[in-house]
This record gives sequence, structure tokens and C-alpha cells, in this order.
Amino acid sequence: MLKLILYRLALAVPQLLLLSFLVFTLTYMVPGSPAAAILGVAANPESIARLEQQLGLDRPFFERLIEYYAGLFRGDFGTSFVSGRPVLELFAERLPATVSLIAGGLLVSIVLGLALGIIGGTKPGSFRDRASTAFSSVSMSLPEFWIGIILLLIFAVQLGVFPVVSYVPFAVDPIGWMRGLILPSIALGIGGAALIARQTRTAMAVSMSSRYVDSLTAVGVPRQRVVLRYGLKNALVPVLASTGLTISIMLGASFSVEKVFAFPGIGALMLRSVTGKDFAVVQGGVLLIAIMVILVNLILDVSYGLLNPKSRPS
Amino acid sequence: MSETTTTAITLSEPDDGRRHTTNLGRIVSRMRRQPGTIVAGAFILFLATVALLAPVVAPYDPTQVFLDNVLEPPSAQFLLGTDDLGRDQLSRLIYGSQIVLLVALGAVIIAAVIGVPLGLVFGFNGGWWDRIGMRFVDMAQALPGMLIGITVVAILGRNIVILMFAIGLIGASLFARMTRAVVLVERNKLYVEAAEVAGLPRRQIIFGQILPNLVGPIVTQGSVFLGSAIMIESAMSFLGIGLPSEIPTWGAMLSLALDNQAVAPHLTWPPGIAIVLTVLAFSVFGDGLNDALTGERKRLPRLGLRLAQAEEERAARAATSVSTAPGAVTGTATAVVHGDDAVLVTHDVSVALAMPDRSQTRIVKNASLTVAKGEIVGLLGESGSGKSTFARAVLGMLPPGTWLASGSIRLLGEELAHRQERELSHVRGTRMAAVFQDPMNALSPVHTVGMQLTEPLRLHKGMNRTQARTRAVELLERVGVRNALARLDDYPHQFSGGMAQRVAIAMALAADPELLIADEATSALDVTTQAQVLDLILDLRDEYGMGVLMITHSLGVVAETCDRAAVMYRGRIVEDSPVATLFSEPRHLYTRSLLDANPANAETSGRLVTIDGDLRVEIDGLIDQLDAEEDAR
Repeated sequence: MLKLILYRLALAVPQLLLLSFLVFTLTYMVPGSPAAAILGVAANPESIARLEQQLGLDRPFFERLIEYYAGLFRGDFGTSFVSGRPVLELFAERLPATVSLIAGGLLVSIVLGLALGIIGGTKPGSFRDRASTAFSSVSMSLPEFWIGIILLLIFAVQLGVFPVVSYVPFAVDPIGWMRGLILPSIALGIGGAALIARQTRTAMAVSMSSRYVDSLTAVGVPRQRVVLRYGLKNALVPVLASTGLTISIMLGASFSVEKVFAFPGIGALMLRSVTGKDFAVVQGGVLLIAIMVILVNLILDVSYGLLNPKSRPS
Repeated sequence: MSETTTTAITLSEPDDGRRHTTNLGRIVSRMRRQPGTIVAGAFILFLATVALLAPVVAPYDPTQVFLDNVLEPPSAQFLLGTDDLGRDQLSRLIYGSQIVLLVALGAVIIAAVIGVPLGLVFGFNGGWWDRIGMRFVDMAQALPGMLIGITVVAILGRNIVILMFAIGLIGASLFARMTRAVVLVERNKLYVEAAEVAGLPRRQIIFGQILPNLVGPIVTQGSVFLGSAIMIESAMSFLGIGLPSEIPTWGAMLSLALDNQAVAPHLTWPPGIAIVLTVLAFSVFGDGLNDALTGERKRLPRLGLRLAQAEEERAARAATSVSTAPGAVTGTATAVVHGDDAVLVTHDVSVALAMPDRSQTRIVKNASLTVAKGEIVGLLGESGSGKSTFARAVLGMLPPGTWLASGSIRLLGEELAHRQERELSHVRGTRMAAVFQDPMNALSPVHTVGMQLTEPLRLHKGMNRTQARTRAVELLERVGVRNALARLDDYPHQFSGGMAQRVAIAMALAADPELLIADEATSALDVTTQAQVLDLILDLRDEYGMGVLMITHSLGVVAETCDRAAVMYRGRIVEDSPVATLFSEPRHLYTRSLLDANPANAETSGRLVTIDGDLRVEIDGLIDQLDAEEDAR
């Protein structure tokens, strides 16, 4: 198991190096000078030069590259052009909201997706299969922010069952934290549920037509037990293999859900930085999000090994 | 030699143009048969028309401000109401469709232009190109698309071309991956080899030979990605990083709806519904196109068919309940004579199969067979003869689309035909059990052997975990698995085929069934292992005295293990006699032919006899006659 983890970590290193290099060159890709972009229409050559010097943009490429990597090894992901605070700190501040949201969304999509997938996959071609497939097709076409707006309109604005501003830190009020997460998690989770339902359906149908289902049925193991204990675990192998993609998609979708529910998360930070031309935060943020995605995939790869004995190095 | 001929054939193929038109015609006619695709296509056409005719159809200019009519609900003047600047929602929705379609189309073209050449290069060159290139593609795909979009907009700013480029970049990896997959398949095909042998330059092979095969997948991928592109565009507009806010987009309209939710809830619905319908239309159309191109329309069983089946089953069930009622036992009087030691008695078992054209056909016809205690009965037949279906009928495990049409199945005197699944699951394991072909797949690959082996023990014998494991070790040792205790925690893939089949036998016999059905249980094993497993079954029969129904296509297996054998052909049992008689005096023409066709005889005669031509016609004639006689009755 340790070998598997180390191997995966080793694979992640070149990915991270490449990505950090791409991120570093971001500011070089901006047409004109980033300083001019930050200052906007009010810029004159002197103020641009002053800002460039201030931000270190006037120094040679390699000098800055070395400094950038040295910083990364110290855990320095840059400093915001606007607020002057370290990007890592800004990020850490907003991580709990985003992680809570994604965890909630994932919970909804796994529970709903597995249920739909089992309902359809255990009886392919049946009415209930078509109904669950139709539900997933429609769900996949629903923009998560629109689901969010509708939920907000009905349950917060019209019925008043949920608060309009959702996020309460867990440490402040655990019950409020949970209450605030319900609507955003549903909004974020429905799309993921459709993805997981499709995969589970296919995997379940394959699993249930496998020979071992016959073997178990032939010695009198009841169908329900065959489905839930054996069929499902086999079906989970391919489903888990694509969960990394699901989480990554959710991370992207969380940006707009955060906007709907006024979540103080990473998405809100990134948007503010893009519109405010805070390139340092965009740079650091992209890299940190990429690291998160790679870490999540690493964890999933390892748990995939736990679930699927064939992929374990023995 | 073969190479030159293939070259000639490939290069002299009819010109692409003609082949293409016939293909196109076939695809269109296939799509016409998909109602969902037609509706989706019609909607797309409608949307495109509305977008093109926006200036004519829209009641107002999308930017016209009516300050006296701010945030008005739908009315005769403003059909969908107005927003916070008093702009007409319907007009903005109509003009929004222009932007949505334009951006999505542009994004798809950019994605294809970036992705397809990359995929061609990776797939055709292979090696390091492929390995490093695909790492990039993997990485791009692992990152959230929105992150790529945000980054592009952050660097380049906001306008319609940049937006297309950002979304196109997100989709490029999809096209690269798809193209590479197709190229990997195509480049190994004969026509590419032939073109290489013929000395065509590589560039010409890629663009002239491989690219035409890519048109279908690219169009499909494009149609599917159009839906995704619309989703991404809407999300980016909603987040305020799409187009400048004065341009009407559906996403930006939803952003305004969110801001004014408390006072103007009507703003929420139209843009959202427009997005959902458009995305759905493109994804349905893309799926339909894919099915039409690959010709793989998964035909689901029709509702009417299943109704027919239910009706038939009800009728059959009613008939059985009459025949099993006291005083109505006369039906079994004609059954094969059997003594009190009979384990399994089947009488006139027929299995029906639902056909795609709503008709039904019998794949097992009036099969009667008896297995006595301690007896090994062979059921011999070629593949498709219905022997496995018969076994499944006995087990009550008929596959979907087939059902027991008539007949009686008695196990230890108890009627099993048309029993509820719940009742049957108690019979399985305790009174009958089965071992199937292909031992490597007979056990769940993600569960330990011990867990599966202890299932029947805990279920039927009421043992707890410890007791069941102890008994499982005994069983494994009995079937010849060495180091049994340690192997309980192994997974099936750690066993050889022969060992896995021993485990499957142990599992089947765990709860002491009186009947073991071995359905081609040794067919997938090599000769030596096969002999060992057959010996094991013989030993276990002697020890436990259970009856065995041995389903096989092998005359050798029948000769070596069976006491009696039945021969099945086209769903009928054509002969049923003791093994010695079967081999010495076969009565049915089919049995005689089968014995003649035994490859072992070829050694002496020097010629392998097969059942075909006139002989096949003659045998089929006999069966057809039987069918006709029965129909007449």
C-alpha cells in the first residue's frame, strides 16, 4: 500500500512542476503589462513603471523564476497585489466554506446517484430504469446555479424555511452550519448525482449480469443481498475510478453556487481577483486548486486500491 | 502475397464521395426512427431560426430602457416582464439565443481545431509523443474547466472571441482524447498498413485515410460538447466573467434575477428554462447521432412484449395450480417412470423467449428428464440446443425475456414451477445447487473466497462467523484446496481456474443439496484439470449420494462420468438412455450423427465427420415434423 502511495506521489511531482511553471508564465501572457492592466484607464507611464517596480515585474525572467520556486518551497504562494496579504493565508481563510460545500454536494450526489443507479441498473430496460435515466439526463442539463436560485427563491425568499445568507462557520454554530449547507449542497449535488447515477447504472448492469451473481443466487443468497452486498461493491470499482472527475467538476461548479448563496469561499476569492486584476491571487489560487485536485485524486487512487484487490501490488 | 492483395483491394475501393452519400442516407434514416432525436433536432432548428430572425421576432430592442416599467411582472406589453432597468425580458431572451449559439459554435470549432490535430499526432506517432502528450491532456482534464476559463479571461480580458477561446480550450482535451482513441484503432487496420506498404507519405495517410473515419466521432463529440459549452458560457456569464453586462446573455439574466429575487421572482424562470431545454436538446441530439453513426441502438424490450409475457405466465401458473391440485395428479401419470429415489422429475418443460418483433418462440420444448438419488445424468447437446436454458428453468433462474411456458419441475416431490423467488431462494443451496462454466468469473472478484464460501453456511445452516469459517476450511480441504485456512482470505484472482472451480463446488455443496447441477462446469478447464474436477464430482457423489445433472457438450465427459444421458437438439430431448446403450445403440438420427462426429473417431477413419448439409437438413426435418405434430394437437 505504501508503495502505491509513493508511486502516485512520484507521478504528481512532474505534474506540479509543469503546472507551476505554466502558472508562473501567466503574467507574461497578459498583453501589455499587468501593471497597466491593474491601473486601468487612469494609468500613465510613470505610475505603471512605479507599480512594476513595486511588484517586481521589472526584474529579469530567470531571477523571478528562481525566486518563485524558492518561495513555493517555503510555502509562499505570492502576495496579493490588492490587499498585500499572502495568498496562502487568503486561501486558508476561505477553504472551510468551499470544502464544506463540496463535501455536502458530494454527499448528496453519492447518495442520490447510487440510489438511482441501483434502481436502474438492477433492471435494465424496465420502466423504473427509463425513469431514472430520464431524470439523470435532465439533471445533467440543469445549471447548478439555476437550481440554487430556484431553491433560494422557494425555500428562503418565499417560504422562509432557510436563511438567505447560508454560510455559518462550524466553530460558531454547528447546527446553523448544517442548516446553511442543505440548499447549496442540493444545488451542487444534483449534477454530480446524475453523473454517478449513469456510471452506477452501467456498472450495476454489468455487475448483475456477471457469473458470480448466478453462483450466489444458485446457493440461495437472496436477491437483495446479492445486489447490495456483491453487485454494489463490484459496481463501485468503476464508479470510484471516476469520482476524481466528479469532484473536479464540482469544484468548478462550486464557484457559481457560492455566488448564489453568498458563500465566502475560494470561488468568490478567485472571481474578485479576476475582476480586480489581482494576478498574484489568480496565480497562487490556480496552483493551490490544482494541488487540491491532485491530492484528491491521490486519495481516490489509494482507496481504489483498497476496493479493488486486483490493482493492489502484492 | 496477402499484403499485395489487400493493397489492391483497399486502394481500388469505390470513391469516397459515393460511399459517403450512402452512409449519410443510412444515418439520416436511422435518426428518423428516433423520436427523441427528431424532437431535439426540431428544437435546435427552432432556436437557430429565432436567433437568426431576432430583429424581426423580438418585440423591442434588447437594450431599450423603460424606466417607468422597472421590474414589472409579465403583462400584455412585456410578455415575460422587465428587469431592473425596465428592459424587455422576452427580447433579451431572444437576442440571448444569438450569443449562446454563436459562442457555443465558436467554442466547439476552436476545441476541435486544437484537439483533433493533437490527438492525430499522439495517436499516430505513439511512443514518447503519446505518453507526454496524454499526460498534458490528463492534467487539463483533471482541472475544473471553470478554472481554465477564469484564467484565460483573467489574462486576456472579456470579449466574445476570448470567451470562445476559453471554452474551446476547456473542450480541446475531449477532442484530443477521442481522436487519439479512434486513430489507435484505425492505424492498426489493414488499410493503413496497406497504404504504408504502398508508400503513401505519412501526412497523406493521416489526412487522406484516417481523417475521413474521424468525421463521425468528431461531429458527435461536437454536438455533445455544444451542450457543455452552453452550460459553461452561461455559468461564466452568470459569474460576471463572460461578456460585458450590456450584451444580453442567459447567464447574466439569471444573475440579475438573483439580485432582484425578493421583488421580481418572475425573472428566475425563462432564462433557466431556455438553458435547460437547449442543453438537453443538444445532448439528446448528440446521443441520437452517435447511435445512428455506430448503428448501436440499444433496443429495449417493448412494453407490449412484457405484457404478453406476464399474461402467458399467469395462464401457465393457473394451469399448474390446477394440475397440482389434489385429484388432478393425472397429468404426471404420463411422466417418465421413476421410483421413490427420484430427486428431480421434470415433465414437459417448455421455455419461451420473447423476440424483438413481439412474437415468441420456444427454446425448450416439452423436455422431460429424471435424476435419481446418487445418479449422474448427462444432458448432451451442441451450443444453442437449450440445455443450459433447461438447467436454468430447473433452478428458477431464467434470464430476462424468457419464461417457463409450461411443464412441471418436481424436486424431492415438491413442485417448483412458477414458485415465488423468495420461496425458491430457500430451495436453492439446501436442496439444489449449481456450478457454472468459467470458474474465474464464478466468484465476485472484490470479495474474499471465505466470505462467499460462508454465505450458504450462515444463511442455511444458521452458523455464526466462526463456525462457518471452520466448516469452510473443512469444505475447502475436502475439495482439495491446500492450505485452506490461509486461502480463505485470498481473492478469487489469486486462484487458478481449476482451484477456483473447486471453491465453487465447495460453495455449491456447503448446505448439502440433494441435486447438483453442473452447467459446463469443466468446459473452460484444460484436460488434466478437467479430469481432476470430474473425479472430484464423482467422489463427492459417492460420499454424499446427491444426484447430479451434468450439462456438457463433450461426449468424453458423458462417457467417463455419467450413468445416464439425454441428448438435446433444438430445444428437444431427442434421446434419453443409459450411457452404455447411448453409445452402443443410439436410436435418434441426431445422436448417431453426433457419435460419428466425435473427433476421437477421426483418428481411425482419418476424416472428421461433421453434421451439416443433407444430414443437417434430414435431422431438422425430423424435428420440424415433431413441432408440426404438436401444433396440430
